[in-house]
Amino acid sequence: MSEKRKYKKRYCKYCEAKVDFIDYKDVANLRFSLSERYKIMPRRLTGNCKRHQDMISTVIKRARAAAFVPYVVTRKKVITAPFENLK
Amino acid sequence: MRNYENLVIVKPTFTAEEIQASVKNVEEIITSNGGKIAASDAMGMRKLAYPIEKSERGYYHVIYYSVEPSAISEIERRFRINEDLLRFVTIKYSTNREVAAWNGLVEKVKKTTATPAKEETPTEEAPKTEAEAE
Repeated sequence: MSEKRKYKKRYCKYCEAKVDFIDYKDVANLRFSLSERYKIMPRRLTGNCKRHQDMISTVIKRARAAAFVPYVVTRKKVITAPFENLK
Repeated sequence: MRNYENLVIVKPTFTAEEIQASVKNVEEIITSNGGKIAASDAMGMRKLAYPIEKSERGYYHVIYYSVEPSAISEIERRFRINEDLLRFVTIKYSTNREVAAWNGLVEKVKKTTATPAKEETPTEEAPKTEAEAE
């Protein structure tokens, strides 16, 4: 198993930074917990703790409603650094 | 009274004055329902992550305010009728932690909209919107 593990030893990035509240408007912060296709990354890959994962998932859903983050990315639309084009 | 935040996306086809008028209209809806606006932040014209009603861009405006929880349904009803808005997002800040975050956000907005930024924002927004109208 240890050979197959893709990611290093897991720890919660948000706990380390002592994040109490995440604002859905700063998209750059959400990028860590989003995949290439803007799916919410699972806890087992990012290492987020339960509390912060819950926070992140609600925040990402809010950001999707506000059109900061796409709901779906089709094959044609996949761009390497899409947030640089925003603004 | 409870703290709320409303994000509003105004149609990009409007001119700068029309956008200001519709933002004022939105603020009026909140104040007429007994809301106290703490801060309002113009995020400006931005590209949307996905097209809404066939428009690729939108003018973002965020308003922080506090009202009685019962007034929210009326405010949202008025927003839904309003055809100037592409989208609105209402967020409630109820727990102690969230209220602290809300205060922080309000202060942050007040700092940025204080004297230096105020002169910059209208000049920046005006040419952008004109270019899009053409």
